[in-house]
Amino acid sequence: MPRIRAVTSSFRHQFLQFVAEPQWLIPNVILPFMITMVALIMFSGQQGNFVLYAVLGGGMMSMWGNTLYSSGWSIGSDRFNGTLEQILVTPSKLVWIIAGRSVWNALVGILNGVLIFVIAVSVYDADLTIRDPMLFFIAFFVTLLSLSMLGMLFCSAFVLTRQASVLTNGLEYPIYVGTGTMFPIAILPWWTNPLSLSLGPTWGIDAIRYAALDNYDGFSTGYWGDVGIMLALSFFYLAVAFVLFGVVEKKVRVDGSFVRY
Amino acid sequence: MQSSETVIDVKDLVRVYRSSTGFIKRVKKETLAVDNISFSVKCGELFGMLGPNGAGKTTTIKMMTTLLTPTSGHITVLGHDVVTDPMEVRKHIGLVLGGEKGLYYRVTARQNLRYFADLYGVPMNIREERINELLRKVDLSDRADERVEDFSRGMKQRLHLAKGLINDPEVIFLDEPTIGLDPQAARDARSMIKTLIEEGKTMLLTTHYMFEADELCDRIAVVNKGKVVALDSPKGLKSLLKDMSIIEVEGFGITAAEIDSIKKLDGVKTVTASMNEDKQVLRVQVCDSSELLTPVANRLGNSKVIGVRVKEPTLEDAYLWLVESDA
Ligand SMILES: Nc1ncnc2c1ncn2[C@@H]1O[C@H](COP(=O)(O)OP(=O)(O)O)[C@@H](O)[C@H]1O
Ligand SMILES: [Mg+2]
Repeated sequence: MPRIRAVTSSFRHQFLQFVAEPQWLIPNVILPFMITMVALIMFSGQQGNFVLYAVLGGGMMSMWGNTLYSSGWSIGSDRFNGTLEQILVTPSKLVWIIAGRSVWNALVGILNGVLIFVIAVSVYDADLTIRDPMLFFIAFFVTLLSLSMLGMLFCSAFVLTRQASVLTNGLEYPIYVGTGTMFPIAILPWWTNPLSLSLGPTWGIDAIRYAALDNYDGFSTGYWGDVGIMLALSFFYLAVAFVLFGVVEKKVRVDGSFVRY
Repeated sequence: MQSSETVIDVKDLVRVYRSSTGFIKRVKKETLAVDNISFSVKCGELFGMLGPNGAGKTTTIKMMTTLLTPTSGHITVLGHDVVTDPMEVRKHIGLVLGGEKGLYYRVTARQNLRYFADLYGVPMNIREERINELLRKVDLSDRADERVEDFSRGMKQRLHLAKGLINDPEVIFLDEPTIGLDPQAARDARSMIKTLIEEGKTMLLTTHYMFEADELCDRIAVVNKGKVVALDSPKGLKSLLKDMSIIEVEGFGITAAEIDSIKKLDGVKTVTASMNEDKQVLRVQVCDSSELLTPVANRLGNSKVIGVRVKEPTLEDAYLWLVESDA
């Protein structure tokens, strides 16, 4: 079965559903707008670096929220609408279908991040100069890759059980804090580190700050170290997601849990 | 197109649902939904599964279409085992589930069909052509670019049918395709099913409407509580009751106690009561109508009887007899 086509058509389908669904406005436009506003108010009167630090954090936060929200939502709504069994009965593997959706969701994340930046500059008149735009964009895309792969991992939990929303709701805020999105990770208790370090966005925000800020003193891995670790984590997530989806697809057929009963 | 080649083969099929309810105190529950079913469907045949709600029809269809794993037993479709070779099976089958669910209702009919065409790997050069052809077939061409959420129940069901045909399947599974449809829409759906049979497709249909099974099916398996209680042609099923006849009574004010007393008469098999407009209609299955006509009428002494007729058994009577004598 042509896998690429399952990925590309699922990407397109996710886009079509996205534009047809006005409720997306809340997580994707209104929330980032508010996050930026709050960040700018918190850091008002500080010099440029602090403002950029906050705006980047806000962008990251909304990208992360979007990943969790949409990976859960897309499978949850398929189960609810009875389309999960319709896609399971096609010869395309679920893992490729979800991969296509995750890439779209990650792209929405990019748009979110850009939007926050644009809002900060145009509406709030913030002075945001990126130190190295090229490195900034590389870090940005690699972060998105790791985010979308992580989104796939969450998604496999959603195929398995409708209770998975407990998982993502519970993860939303700890991860904002745990990845150092809003605060420098060093001020957190030591035991949060192993979890944080296994998450792509932790390295992503560090790499992005290396690229954007002058005199940023982040992880000792440095910019390229962060990017390398993120890439490795992305492939690791993909491999785990692939195995998990195999297990989940089998289990769902044994349990009969692909349908709301 | 009819040949003796076996397309679907079901052997000793069993399915148990294990579920648990309660959060603090887990209560485990087991449901035996399909209890040792065997049958086979030949090429070009329209095979019906007829049974009341909860009989295990949908569960059986989901196992045949690779959506559920059998607890035990074997199924092959076109020679492929549904458990060990599900991808091969999926390429060659279509599944149409009754009801309103199973479509992406935020997007248009055409976008739904396009997505499924892609997931089935329909060649790109024939994709649009096939979608247009199917839309025409199910009479949705002029609504193709409207969102599915604005569709009527009948239109959604027709779109379901089109979606089930998107990969030009050799075998089509239809689970209660007319459920919830108004009579006109149900008639349309049945005539589309007949067209497919003329095209040589092999089909398996479930329903709990006897007349539907009678009208469409070559052979019918009557299922009840997860078991096949009879398997024959509609004609064969009707002849199960050849020694019986039906006393049909129309009237007003017939009480439950009166119906009970008729049930207790010697030689009465089953009694069903229904409403026809404002009249009550009793159908009493008996072995010998000449002997029982008077006793039945006597039991209805306190109600107003308008008419009593003796009738030939229909498929519905055969079905009721099978399901009730299995109770
Ligand atoms: N997902 C499920 N989990 C637990 N029990 C189920 C599930 N699906 C069906 N059942 C039970 O299995 C039996 C057969 O159901 P089903 O196959 O839907 O019957 P039918 O389609 O003939 O109405 C019923 O008792 C039903 O309650
Ligand atoms: Mg059913």
